[in-house]
Amino acid sequence: MKDLKHLIFFEDLLQEANNSLIRQAQSEGRKCIGYMCENVPEPLLNLPGCFSARLRAPRTGSMEMGTYYLTSFLCEYSRAMLERALEGGFNFLDAMITPDGCSMLNRCVENMELLRTMGEGKEGFFFDYMEIPMKADYNGLDLYVLQCRNHILKPLQEHYGIDISDEAIRRAVAQHNRICELIRAIGDFRKGEHPVITGYEFNVLTLASYSAPKDLIEDRLAQTLEELKERAYDPKPWYKARVLVVGSEIDDTDFIRLVEESGAFVCADRFCYGSLPGRDPIVLTDEEDALTQICRQYMYRGECPRYMNTEKMDARRSYVDALAKEYHADGIIYQQMKFCDPWAYEKMLGSHILREEYGYPVLAVDRPYAIGSSGQMRTRVQAFMESIEIKKIHA
Amino acid sequence: MAVKKAKKMINPEKIRGDVRYGDLYKLGGKVRKRREWRGVKDTLYDYSRWLGIMFTLGKFVAVPRNVKGMLRYRWMANYLAVPMMVDRHTQGLRGEYLRMCHTQQDLIIIDVAKLLNNLFRGDRRIGNDKAFSDKVVLVDENEMTAVMMGFPTLKGLSRETPSTYVSVLLNQHAAEHYIDVAQEFGLAGDVCPMPEAEAGVSIDDDAPVLGKCAIQCNTTCDGSLLGNGVISRRLEKEDGIPVFQLPAPLRHREDDVQEYAAEEIRRAIRFIEEQTGEKWDWDYYFECARRVNIATKARNEWLDMNRTDYPQIFGSNLALYTETNYMAICGKVPEFEKADKKLMKLARKAYAKRKMAAPEYRHRAIVWGVQSHFYMDFLVWLLNCWGIVPLTDMLSMINTEMIAETDTPENREKAYYDMAWLTENMIMRNRTHGGYRVLLDELFEFVEMFNADMIILWEHITCKALDGMHGMFEDRARELGIPLVWVDHQLFDPRVVSRQGVRDQINTFMRTVMQEEPLDPSLEILEDGNSW
Amino acid sequence: MAKKVMKCLLYLLLFLSGFFIVTFTVYFLNLDMKLTAAIEPLLQKHYDRIRRDQHL
Repeated sequence: MKDLKHLIFFEDLLQEANNSLIRQAQSEGRKCIGYMCENVPEPLLNLPGCFSARLRAPRTGSMEMGTYYLTSFLCEYSRAMLERALEGGFNFLDAMITPDGCSMLNRCVENMELLRTMGEGKEGFFFDYMEIPMKADYNGLDLYVLQCRNHILKPLQEHYGIDISDEAIRRAVAQHNRICELIRAIGDFRKGEHPVITGYEFNVLTLASYSAPKDLIEDRLAQTLEELKERAYDPKPWYKARVLVVGSEIDDTDFIRLVEESGAFVCADRFCYGSLPGRDPIVLTDEEDALTQICRQYMYRGECPRYMNTEKMDARRSYVDALAKEYHADGIIYQQMKFCDPWAYEKMLGSHILREEYGYPVLAVDRPYAIGSSGQMRTRVQAFMESIEIKKIHA
Repeated sequence: MAVKKAKKMINPEKIRGDVRYGDLYKLGGKVRKRREWRGVKDTLYDYSRWLGIMFTLGKFVAVPRNVKGMLRYRWMANYLAVPMMVDRHTQGLRGEYLRMCHTQQDLIIIDVAKLLNNLFRGDRRIGNDKAFSDKVVLVDENEMTAVMMGFPTLKGLSRETPSTYVSVLLNQHAAEHYIDVAQEFGLAGDVCPMPEAEAGVSIDDDAPVLGKCAIQCNTTCDGSLLGNGVISRRLEKEDGIPVFQLPAPLRHREDDVQEYAAEEIRRAIRFIEEQTGEKWDWDYYFECARRVNIATKARNEWLDMNRTDYPQIFGSNLALYTETNYMAICGKVPEFEKADKKLMKLARKAYAKRKMAAPEYRHRAIVWGVQSHFYMDFLVWLLNCWGIVPLTDMLSMINTEMIAETDTPENREKAYYDMAWLTENMIMRNRTHGGYRVLLDELFEFVEMFNADMIILWEHITCKALDGMHGMFEDRARELGIPLVWVDHQLFDPRVVSRQGVRDQINTFMRTVMQEEPLDPSLEILEDGNSW
Repeated sequence: MAKKVMKCLLYLLLFLSGFFIVTFTVYFLNLDMKLTAAIEPLLQKHYDRIRRDQHL
């Protein structure tokens, strides 16, 4: 297929956390609010006057300092983030907000605070931590709303004078939804028999939407959508099988590229930093305040394995099944970052249930943060592709 | 800052009987050559308590269904080692110390025997007493049982306590089979082996099946929370036992999470009422609350004593008893009130006489982190081998506040917050969660408070919440000039770091950094890799 | 009568002495643990033979 016009621009954005659009927005006087976990409602960090940056550590090499502080048993994501923070790579942030989601992320951010890695020369800089619910229900919602109010909205108002009114929140949601709709519309091209976008390309666009101020990428995303409508597909399918990738945090486009180079087409992305359900638009009504509605939707759609009630646990697997059907996946790759406790269990259960009860071919793998061009992973994915092909022949 | 040093204290009283405890170990053996000689009086006392334990075990085995249970469940084989567990914890103890230890250990044994008896009575495979099973609410192993404080007619039973928790205390290798089973089913090897083993028991079809309903909790960690998902799957979908998940907030010191926590307690109670048809009994609740306060007062007093030169209830005795009394008992068993009072009497008596538990006290240590469960008597070794007094440990530093114990309308409302508070401050999780203040800052406050000159920092290698403060612990200790010794272990799995591996870390530190010689050289290297 | 009582007491004393000697020997030489240590491998073999419904 012909190259996408803006792909290089989006790829460039992902080369560093403090990318050109973040610098541009800050030069306009807007405050950059860092976060690392999908349980922080993104629109609340994108109120007028501020914008969100979901932190990544692109081109991670050595993690020696991160490993010293966190030991080699914490996931590489948390170690890479701390390393980058210690290098001064996140010093551009104006605030850092984190939920007590998993122990590792929480400790990572606490170390960032204790080691004074950020805030130098930034008068209003603050760290804040929030509790988030572990069950999706009315009590969880009350907690979520209260925590967002106390640990996101109030500090933003107090430190930077951000307008936290219902109207301002609704404006942020409207902008958030425009990006979500664009990403979802682009992502829908993956459903067809002859997809006009690769999983890698889509991953780049989605990641950019987390890593840069939304208003500054909207035009290019809209142009990309138009471009895809006209894009000619390769007459002969370039992949052996369509796979749905499920699991923990992936902010490294190399992983999706590696999977696709091994003969797969990543037709759907159900992982943290992915579009499903991360780029579901937030539907607001006028009957209730916006904050409560945002929290409710984040809570009920959340696929984080830390949600412990049975309905949520079952729903995680049925959601994967529904996505596999919707995107016509031939197989599922359950991946987890090594040393991630929540996904270690979810991967075991999910891969087992999707294989045994739903009948999908499933590959379960763990991986480092920066996958590079891992031969081991390539071999595993290739073997998985072959097994799916054989299954198709037998069918 | 200069390195802090405690004054060396010599015991004016001679230790009667054996003093080279390492000589009792048999090379490569599972058990020891013989029991310890403690002088005539203390040996006869220990013998009489041994007879008592034998009587408890005999009574247990006399019930046919318990024998059936023993033959059905693999983890029951570990209970053959009960007397040895007591021997391990009483090593080197004489006089009041020996009596205090027995008071605690023997009561715990009786309590666990009752738990097993109840489990087998209701178990569909063994006793199959349906009427009894309908009165059972299953709880997690690491669960504060406060929500059972108002149900006098119900039994809150934990299947994981006897199958994994106590089993590993009895036999260091007890969990290995279940860890392997979980990993065979695809669970990563880098998660905490405790929930991993508990999930393994469920996967291996080796858990008793009973109960009207179950309450699971998110204590103590991410692994524990997720491991429950494996267990509840079997409970709900196969055994037809409904499960209520009780989440306790992680940032438990924050005011803005307390209402959430209290509401979850209310809902858990409602769930139990709906499932069992029983009603919450406030009289019973406040009776239990009164006993919780007695236990808290006692523990506070012991901790106060441990701040002086003459600590009395400390080390693994403090840790094990606190874990049992605070979490599993939670005021529901009157015998523990009696034990608390007896222990207090003994401790005061020994304190008045300025008694010491070893020939020499060289260092005063705060033991922090999560202890190696397969080597709970390590703290006894620490004292006997190196004269290091483990003043208190992280797991014993739990709630110190009194809860409402009189029945008034206001207190009935406050009770939900009290139960939530106890649950949030459950052992271990009250330190491993709640932000760095409770784990890092307070450790160094305790060092000051207890006048300690050393920190023994357990590094349970797959405990992510603890590992995540590794560097900060070191930085802070260096800043304050406190010697800090890391002791790596893998909680339930001695194949990763053996007991000798645990000891070697102390031995090396004491010889090279502290430049000291052991108090009892026979304990420095022990052949107990194969031992229970 | 007194003789009978004395005899009973003697038997009781003998029984108690015997009980003490036996149990104290078991206690001190750790024979109880040595016995259970010998039993444990047999139990493990037994558990290995039990069919289980092993699954997630």
